[in-house]
Amino acid sequence: MTPILQQFISEGREFLQSISEKLMQLERAPNDVELMSDLFRSVHTLKGNSGLFDFPEMSRVLHAAEDLMTVVRDGKLPYSAALADRLLDAMDFVAMLIDEIETETTSGVDHAADSLKFAALLRALFAAPDAPAAAGSPVAIDVPTQVPVDGLDTTTWLEIPADLRAAWLADRNAQPELLWIVYTPEPDCFFKGEDPLHHASQLPDVRWRRIAAAKPWAAMAEFDPYQCNLRFEMVSGCTRAEVQEHFRYVPEQLTIAVISLEDRVEATLATQEPAAREAAAASIIAAQWCVLRGVGSADWSAGRLRAAAATLEACYRGGGHAECLPSIAAALDACLAESTAAPLLAWLGSQFPLGDVAATAVVTAPLSRPTIAPAPRAAGEAVVAAKTLKVDQAKIDHLMSLIGEMVVAKNGLPFLASRAETVYGSRELSREIKSQHAVINRIAAEMQDVIMQVRMTPVSTVFQRFPRLARDISRKLGKQVALVLEGEETEADKNVIEALADPLIHIVRNSLDHGIELPAVRIAAGKPAEGRLVISASQLADRVIIDIRDDGKGIDPAVMKRKAYEKGVIDEATLERISDREAINLVFAPGFSTAEEVSDLSGRGVGMDVVRSAVERANGSVTLESSVGVGTHIRLSLPLSMAVTNVMIVESNHQIFGVPMDMVLETVRVPKTEVRAIKNRQTTILRDRVMPLRSLNEMLSSAAPQRVNEAEEIAALIVQIQGQSLGIVVDDFREVVEIILKPLTGILNGIAGYSGSALLGDGSVLMVLNPKELVSWA
Amino acid sequence: MGMTVKKNIASFHDSVGIEATEELLGWLRKHPKGKVNLAACTHLHTALLQVLLAARIPVAAWPDDQGLKSWLTAAINI
Repeated sequence: MTPILQQFISEGREFLQSISEKLMQLERAPNDVELMSDLFRSVHTLKGNSGLFDFPEMSRVLHAAEDLMTVVRDGKLPYSAALADRLLDAMDFVAMLIDEIETETTSGVDHAADSLKFAALLRALFAAPDAPAAAGSPVAIDVPTQVPVDGLDTTTWLEIPADLRAAWLADRNAQPELLWIVYTPEPDCFFKGEDPLHHASQLPDVRWRRIAAAKPWAAMAEFDPYQCNLRFEMVSGCTRAEVQEHFRYVPEQLTIAVISLEDRVEATLATQEPAAREAAAASIIAAQWCVLRGVGSADWSAGRLRAAAATLEACYRGGGHAECLPSIAAALDACLAESTAAPLLAWLGSQFPLGDVAATAVVTAPLSRPTIAPAPRAAGEAVVAAKTLKVDQAKIDHLMSLIGEMVVAKNGLPFLASRAETVYGSRELSREIKSQHAVINRIAAEMQDVIMQVRMTPVSTVFQRFPRLARDISRKLGKQVALVLEGEETEADKNVIEALADPLIHIVRNSLDHGIELPAVRIAAGKPAEGRLVISASQLADRVIIDIRDDGKGIDPAVMKRKAYEKGVIDEATLERISDREAINLVFAPGFSTAEEVSDLSGRGVGMDVVRSAVERANGSVTLESSVGVGTHIRLSLPLSMAVTNVMIVESNHQIFGVPMDMVLETVRVPKTEVRAIKNRQTTILRDRVMPLRSLNEMLSSAAPQRVNEAEEIAALIVQIQGQSLGIVVDDFREVVEIILKPLTGILNGIAGYSGSALLGDGSVLMVLNPKELVSWA
Repeated sequence: MGMTVKKNIASFHDSVGIEATEELLGWLRKHPKGKVNLAACTHLHTALLQVLLAARIPVAAWPDDQGLKSWLTAAINI
């Protein structure tokens, strides 16, 4: 793939994104001239760019879109939702083409029919009301109301020289099909830089050709040589696909029909052609074959058989093949005996292996292949890159991992310094190493900071797809929704943004599907008919906060409780006990879906628990508040960056482990005497609250008891897991380090108790625990 | 290369582009009975072919290039 093509792909996606954004903005402000001009420019530029490459399918659709926009911009056609629908569909098609170009799976010819269809749909919007004005203009020609099939008629067939026809007929076993191609260039094709003669003459395997005037030539005085008035007729041995590929820029000017040679036999016989005696004989024989096939069990079938046999005999005698005559007679006898044509047909078959050629009429299926509309695609799959420099993401990722490695290598220096002092007894050297370390440390920290800045992506990359999503869903459901996006410029690490995308789409879908009511219901409830969905992003300390608020019907805790109980998500005791707030949060329970019926939008029972787990995987959290009739508020909180993690190192059973700092509330030393057992669970009282304790060794299935220090105190790491505090008993606490957390791969990936591993400065591997999973293990 | 005109014979050489159309028409006005020599021609633009057809200009020499000849005869001889 050439760099310019890559650039086209990435720019093309940006254009598509901005086109669909503008289309939706226009729906709100259909009279915004500025916006319309912008839209026109985007479509125009994209079309122009596509013309640089060999993508006629794309150019064709974009060209039609551009023409449509021109009509709309000039105020000849009002902007409407239906129009936007078609344009959006067409843009989806273009996006699909771009995807295929990127994966290099495209053979654009496959989409020629779709592209014609989309172009025709777009043109139909303005060609129909505008018909008188458009008549005679190229637009009228472009509308392929199924290309009029101008098959090969008998007259034309007979104009082809007899020797050629005879040769084709004789050769029809080798090549059962020839194509009849009529290419009628549009009158102003010269102005598009086309040279139809050149184009036609480049078609391979042309057996016969004719160039004729499409309309009678005008007198020389009025003759305009720059209006193409020619019609190219060709007979070619190419396959249909080859012809379509060759003429892919002008499919609407092309008619392709299969010449069924079988059908041509009669046409040849109808004339008295003196030439090509052999071929004529062959034609006669083929005609007999057709006759024989039509023989039924009627009274006169015996006569028919005899007639056919007599004709065959005459042919073979005339052709100097008298040796065949006895076998024909024998076959005829057999036929008459069985009163079927089979023996003669079999005989003919042995002489003339025609095969059972279906006597089909000229097959006329020029371009109408089953048209599969491309599935509607979520808008905005493109990634908005920086305005100044476009760099491959993989390069940034690589740079980041290199910087990560350098940070780890740098962490080795303090170890070296202490070795210099303890092993080699040189304090001087140790101090120098340490000062050098300080310098490298500063640079490394800065580099890390910069790479983080580079990786920062605005949340708008995720948000930008919502207007389309909201529009499509609300139109589908017949709801009215005003989508408000706030804080789109808020930035977070690329990985975090990517992790956000799917959960957010899920939440927005849920809000639209289950939250916001139908206009009639809303009005009955005293709310404006148009629902409001606000998605806002903001930064709070080192976290990104995404709020999704709707003013829909909210979640009814009573309904939640009942449903959860019915579905066995909670038991009876829990049903009695849980608060309304907890009940609402049951939406996050696995296997819970409140949708009355499963729609194709949401409500498959895999909804919110997937959201929660996706967010938690990115070290984030979800909270949900809802009041009946007022609306629902979901808040996602994610770290700004997932690249660097602070972990606390703890020691247990002579090993060290990392615990993510964002889970650690505090570290306490509790005298062993303060530990009590409640129902065989260890607990202690911490600031007048009961604190359950779990031993890390026990959770890791190690039999060793937890060690205590000289003062007979246990070390408890208080962590917060889903809003609950828990003390994890370890042997000792160590320092807090910054690490680059690498997820576990391969078999280790399945061990949920660890969230990953990291390299420490001394080269050893630190396993980082995932306390949430650990606790649910044991 | 293009077109060269010698009295009432217009000779085409190599590939002749659409820009020669005006020249051909101009020559034709002066020499309504002119002929064309296509022997050295390898390709001529469709617009020129249209002029040849519409004005029924006799062909003095067919192209040596068999490919082009077959296309031109398909147009002009009918």
